[in-house]
Amino acid sequence: MQRLWIYLLAISLLSCQEEVDLPLATIDGVVPVIEGTWTDWNSYNEVRISLAQNYFDTTARRVISDARVFISIPGSGKIIPFSYRPESFSFRPVNPREVAKVGETYQLFVEWEDKVFSSKGLMLEAPTVDSLTYEYQEERLFREAGYYIKVYGKIPFEKDNNYRIRVIENDTLKNDRDDYLLFDDTFGLTFFEEGLELGYAFEPGDRVGLELYRMNRDMFDYFTQLVNLLFSDGGLFSPPPQNPDTNIKLLKGESEVLGFFLVSPVLRESIFIRRDK
Amino acid sequence: MQSQVRFFLKCLFLIILLAGGNVSAQEATLLSGEVMDVTNSEPLPGANIYWENDISTGVAADLDGKFQIKPVSLPARLVVSYIGFEKSIRTITQNDLDKELRFFLKPEEMSLDEIIIMERRPDEQVKNLETGKSTIPMETIRNIPALFGEVDLLRSLQLLPGVQTAGEGTTGLFVRGGSNDQNLIQIDGAPVYNASHFFGFFSVFNPDALDQVELYKGNMPASFGGRLSSLIDVTLKEGNNEQIHGEGGIGSISSRLTINGPLFSDKSTFVVSARRTYADVFLKLSKDEDLQNNKLNFHDLSGKFSFLLGEKDKLTFSTYQGSDFLGLDEAFGLGWTNWVSSAQWNRNISDKAFFDLQAYHSKYNYRVEFDDPDNGFEWNNKLSETGIKGQWTLLQSESLQTYWGFHSQYYHFAPIELLPAPNSNILPISTNPKNGILNNLFAGLTYEISPKLSTEAGLRWGLYNQVGRGVDYLYSTESPERSEDITDSVNYNTLENIKFYQGLEPRIAFRYLINEQFSIKTAYNRNFQYVQIASNSSAGLPIDRWILAGTYVPPIRADQVSVGLFHNFDENRWEFSIEGYYKDFRNIIDLKNGANVLFNDNVETEILTGNGWAYGAEFLLRKNIGKTTGWLAYTYSRTWRKIEGISEGQAYNPRYDRPNDITMVLNHEFSSSWSAGLTFVYTTGQAVSFPIGTYIADNQTLPLYSDLRNEDRYPNYHRMDASVTWKNPDKGRKWRGSWNFSVYNLYGRKNPFAYEFREIYNDDLNYDQSKDGPIVSSRPGIVMTYLFTFLPSITYNFQF
Repeated sequence: MQRLWIYLLAISLLSCQEEVDLPLATIDGVVPVIEGTWTDWNSYNEVRISLAQNYFDTTARRVISDARVFISIPGSGKIIPFSYRPESFSFRPVNPREVAKVGETYQLFVEWEDKVFSSKGLMLEAPTVDSLTYEYQEERLFREAGYYIKVYGKIPFEKDNNYRIRVIENDTLKNDRDDYLLFDDTFGLTFFEEGLELGYAFEPGDRVGLELYRMNRDMFDYFTQLVNLLFSDGGLFSPPPQNPDTNIKLLKGESEVLGFFLVSPVLRESIFIRRDK
Repeated sequence: MQSQVRFFLKCLFLIILLAGGNVSAQEATLLSGEVMDVTNSEPLPGANIYWENDISTGVAADLDGKFQIKPVSLPARLVVSYIGFEKSIRTITQNDLDKELRFFLKPEEMSLDEIIIMERRPDEQVKNLETGKSTIPMETIRNIPALFGEVDLLRSLQLLPGVQTAGEGTTGLFVRGGSNDQNLIQIDGAPVYNASHFFGFFSVFNPDALDQVELYKGNMPASFGGRLSSLIDVTLKEGNNEQIHGEGGIGSISSRLTINGPLFSDKSTFVVSARRTYADVFLKLSKDEDLQNNKLNFHDLSGKFSFLLGEKDKLTFSTYQGSDFLGLDEAFGLGWTNWVSSAQWNRNISDKAFFDLQAYHSKYNYRVEFDDPDNGFEWNNKLSETGIKGQWTLLQSESLQTYWGFHSQYYHFAPIELLPAPNSNILPISTNPKNGILNNLFAGLTYEISPKLSTEAGLRWGLYNQVGRGVDYLYSTESPERSEDITDSVNYNTLENIKFYQGLEPRIAFRYLINEQFSIKTAYNRNFQYVQIASNSSAGLPIDRWILAGTYVPPIRADQVSVGLFHNFDENRWEFSIEGYYKDFRNIIDLKNGANVLFNDNVETEILTGNGWAYGAEFLLRKNIGKTTGWLAYTYSRTWRKIEGISEGQAYNPRYDRPNDITMVLNHEFSSSWSAGLTFVYTTGQAVSFPIGTYIADNQTLPLYSDLRNEDRYPNYHRMDASVTWKNPDKGRKWRGSWNFSVYNLYGRKNPFAYEFREIYNDDLNYDQSKDGPIVSSRPGIVMTYLFTFLPSITYNFQF
């Protein structure tokens, strides 16, 4: 809806744009940013820790490598330790066979300097993706002509229907602010069974990968707020800009913290677009 | 006065005729004509007609306004004059000798220097009891330079002290710290729920259809209520009972036409008015094919019908209907409509007792359609208010006037419905309806305690019930925080009570007259409001969600105290006033981060509640009389909110908090043909949040904001607008036209509309990866959007 208003305004107003310089306040102290991802695929599982920097600071971002990171399973006493991997600038499980299992609740701990941060997430069952199809479509409103992929699947769950789809085109993740495909059951989930069309026009020869995540509600809200922020133009029609609400809590010490801890199954599918179809 | 003069002249002329005076000669070569009053086409007997270069040849019009005059060497200029009317001069050629010429003279009062161009008494601001009340004569509003040349009532009110705007070009009003939904905007007593067109850039009022407007910023009479911050009481024009007249205009983006006159007899009149934009035409001229297929328009229609049922009774019916429509490529449509109707019966029970009964219905609805084979839908919503109000007024004596009455309102906020198109894969959505009944009893009096001291006191008692049909949800938590916490729901039948609130709203004001030119006034008032918009954007949108007070949302309340010093000088040519106020808000709402209220049946989980306060001082210097009129206003004001969950629970300024606000409005009449207007506005920039840093999350570079809201400011806003009006020199013809040329933002100030904090790739603000190649550089930047720099427009206005 946010995009819609921007489009409406763009066509209806005599507007101009130019780059300007404004005096901005700066960050007081350090603000760690924790991005934790815990899935049923080892290759996705990592915890990145970095620091926020002042708005106009173009120096390389500081990555934290000296933290103690682990995931525990509350009630079981089990600890899954992580270690820093310079090649990925992130912490990864010491034992790469450790992955998230459906039904388990996982708690992330990050100990850095005198601070301890923590977050919890429940590993949910993944829905089913039956098939991917594609078809050539002529130009439509908001859609250019090209090959469009439809995802067919089943979502049998009564609750926790919070989903995200990521699309990878020829090994490149589509990662623009337009590329967040988030949906819940507000409008029902029939469209997933009837075929959910991905909003991209592909060309013959494209290999398209798809990742489907089923998230806890706090992470769904986080991504929704993140998208709102990316689309916020700071104008009259935008709500006051706010940082997305993190699901990470400070257990010890004094510090702000940003970021998220995502616990989710990942369904992966891919398809090759052929000209002859 | 004017009619008395005319009567005297008629008598005088009759005497002259009876005395045998012959004022015209009967010759074949004479120039013949007729002189009439343009307002009612009545003849003007005794009007003087003479050649400009030979006054001695003058004649006078007869009882029917007809005349004949011997021609001089043609072409020559013929002058037609009559006491109390503007002189008409027309060049006469040989061809005119064959015609019966008609001269329509215009009453002179609107152009005399020392006549007040307003309906109120010259010393009214000193002597009346009203504080925080402002009026702008419609004539002044028409002369204020306008955006796109569209004379706009609400934009004109923004030029008054104590009234803020949401931002560039918008018509939303923020009065003394109140938000836009805290204004009661009514047309002939019926409320308008969305008083804007085109996403807030124009208001719904066609200036030709309006008779007067009154803005109460504070102590509104007890007979009005329901909104915290202001009453904008708009009255539609009534028709004249003598002859059909019309007026209208052809502008840069719209045209308008108003016709008024007698209906059936001189005991009844009508006015109908219409306005429509033609932005669609410009879109079709676009080189962009995508834009050519779009639609963008709005229209207004209004009518007022008055019937005198005798000497004591009068019936009036008013209606207004206005719509907007935006269509994109035949596949997407968004439209919204206001339809407001009212009926009023006024009865003069005696010379001292009056009764007014009014019934009204106001409906607002919007509709969104998306034509898509997979995900098409139609999304509708409608809300309405129906009311009846009765008021008795008794003039006990010259020093005491009392009034009392009732006002019952029924609010119906229909379910929000999203209906999938055939074969669409999405499911329908429907929320539950919300209904409320608000019964008010009110009474008030105006009492002159002594020649110097007067008081106006009133009390309004509001009894509010949220009623069925509807559903209330029960939560496991003490207050509703998440939909997941719902444990049960309770269904209510039609008109079954769900929640009851009541509130007494005292209003009292005193005026002490220091002398004939000086007075001090003070006032206190309390208002309750039971409907509001759940939104956290500053500008109103057509799909804004209105909510009613209920189990989890208490009514909002405001208490205001004000004190003012009022001074007139130079024989009431100038007015000066200083008013200070303090206002306390309770139970005002804001939304949680990322709140979704549009399709939510339990909006209470998305709302945060708190308090607020505002204070300010308003200075106004105004000249209403003479060739130069206008005002200079300065306001210092602050507005604060304190809501748990926002800005770490600390007090913050809403976006429209603007401590310094200066406005200057000038109109000058250079001659009977030329006049000009000039407006200057200067305000502190809007209170906003700028990022303090950036961080990476989910492979995105995100701006980092402080937890404190609106700690930053846009640059100060200023702008000058100018207009020039040229009226056709009055040739005495019935059709009278004028051209208005105006420029919005005369010196092209780039006032920010929005700032985007984003990565700039390849040093190109409009970088597009699909067209501009790979990214070779990236840096954080600030991109400012601004609107309307040096925007000229031209309008042709006419009357007949």
